[in-house]
Amino acid sequence: MKLNKFFRIQNPIYILIFVNLLFFGLLFLYVKPLDTFILASGAGVIALMVISYLAIIKLQMGDEYIFLIISMLTSLGIIMLYRINPEYGVRQISLYALGIILYFLAYIIFRFIKGWDKYLYLYIIFNFISFITTIAVGSSIGGATNWIQIGGFSFQPAEIIKVSFVFFIAAYYKLRFSSDEVVTHSEGLDSYEDQIINSDVNKDLDYTEEEPIESIETEIGLIDTLNEKVKNVYVFLGLAYMHIFFLLLQRELGLSALFFIVFLSIFYIYEDDRKLLLYNLGLVLIIGIISYFTMSHVNVRLTTWINPWADISNKGYQITQSLFAIAEGGFFGTGLGLGSPTYIPEVHTDFIFSAICEEMGVFGGISVVLLYFLLIYRGFKIALTIKDIFKRIVALGITLIYGYQTFIIIGGVIKLIPLTGVTLPFISYGGTSLISAFISFGILQAISKKTIEEEEAVILE
Amino acid sequence: MFEILSWIIRYIFIILIYYFLFGIIRLIYLDIKSINRMNRRQYNRPYLKLINRKEMLDFDIQEFYDLGQITTIGRGKQNSIKLLDRYISSNHAKIVQDEGEYFLEDVGSINGTYLNNEKIADVVKLKNGDRIGIGQVEFLFVKEVADDEA
Repeated sequence: MKLNKFFRIQNPIYILIFVNLLFFGLLFLYVKPLDTFILASGAGVIALMVISYLAIIKLQMGDEYIFLIISMLTSLGIIMLYRINPEYGVRQISLYALGIILYFLAYIIFRFIKGWDKYLYLYIIFNFISFITTIAVGSSIGGATNWIQIGGFSFQPAEIIKVSFVFFIAAYYKLRFSSDEVVTHSEGLDSYEDQIINSDVNKDLDYTEEEPIESIETEIGLIDTLNEKVKNVYVFLGLAYMHIFFLLLQRELGLSALFFIVFLSIFYIYEDDRKLLLYNLGLVLIIGIISYFTMSHVNVRLTTWINPWADISNKGYQITQSLFAIAEGGFFGTGLGLGSPTYIPEVHTDFIFSAICEEMGVFGGISVVLLYFLLIYRGFKIALTIKDIFKRIVALGITLIYGYQTFIIIGGVIKLIPLTGVTLPFISYGGTSLISAFISFGILQAISKKTIEEEEAVILE
Repeated sequence: MFEILSWIIRYIFIILIYYFLFGIIRLIYLDIKSINRMNRRQYNRPYLKLINRKEMLDFDIQEFYDLGQITTIGRGKQNSIKLLDRYISSNHAKIVQDEGEYFLEDVGSINGTYLNNEKIADVVKLKNGDRIGIGQVEFLFVKEVADDEA
């Protein structure tokens, strides 16, 4: 009974505040010379979290767990980055503030603009224009041509395309299924009319059939030849593969794998044709084998995965340093500021998970993985409760993207799967990826709130 | 000094973060539990049972609704049975208990309220097995008469 009382937590937000207080206090002592700016930024981060959390609770903005989990992940990221390099930490905090603003902005925009499912062509055009401009004027950082620089400000269009790629898939299935419905309804219409004549009028049939009759007329007017063409599954497949092809052209291995897995998962859920799925898998196997022999960096990734120790001073350096770091940490870690995660190249972006494992221990690492588990569980939960197919696929797609992304990068740094460069959502240093993650989960938050439309009832005849 | 603090804090952190995870899992568990409780009904009281298949309706609805002193049905937030059906008015109908009997009344809905497929004009008394039609939804009125038989 007493134990039960001890475990009765009022609210996880208090723990979140406490963790931040502890770590920012520690960071204040760590960075020499003593800098009160750290304490101020810590207070700023805590204030931002609390205000946003209260706003979500008070304004009843739907799911309240998403934001808590995101905040915990982001604060762990900020603390780790501050410890690696205070400059990164400060930038990450300002990006975090921007991310929260965009989170709420995405929430508002997604909720108050209706008809997101009708802009299928807009998403396609947007995606391809961004890809083409990236290839035309993009500069390469770290082996991949995926950055656009405007002034002193550089960003990765591919991170934004992640969101609109999901929108594209969702809008496509909405288009296809909504028109399928119309067809089946019109087929059933004749028998329905017979029923009216023959039997006494059943009130329930009256209601349910009323709506499709109206929509048939409007839908047929809207459907033009273009829609008919796009509805063909092969055209859809072609468009989806174009995305992946462009990403491969930019030498973005991780993202193209991510796009493909997300696409295939949604395809598996909504497509009845299992044979087509197998063909897709076969095609990708062929693409993989071809790229292994033709593209040198795919080859390097695979050989360093199979045996990084063979070329430890050069190609295998990064992954072996990561493994050393994780091993160094042990169960409870070396303690913040006492390890040496900076030995790993690119520790602030791709390899931040190894740094967390080194300084916060394997238990800390597992807790991070569990946080992602919960986040993805919430995402699926939201997707399951939504009835509208467009919103459902958007929720599902966003959840899948971040779930797979986490798997790809954590699997990569612990040498479970070949390493490909994607960021760890919410933790890694990286402007565009952090912001696009915040926008995506803002949309998920918007979807999680049930629409209560208080407009007057539709009048029946 | 810093080393000692860092060593202590790493243990505190591990405890705290699992405590945080535990807290969130607990909240989610309570959330799911309350949903399950909503679908269970109390015995010995009349209730409405959903006749439609729940999957066919595109809004949230429960299988059972217990009836109280006054049960209001409609789309507005203030109703005791809130259904986001677009054929249901903000204030659609109400069921009032009076001396152990239950009465169905339409409170100015647009599409009307139906009892056994007939549109009701006035207050009607409900008996066990009556079908109440509101919007796309159809309920069965169940009043167990075990007490009377005994």
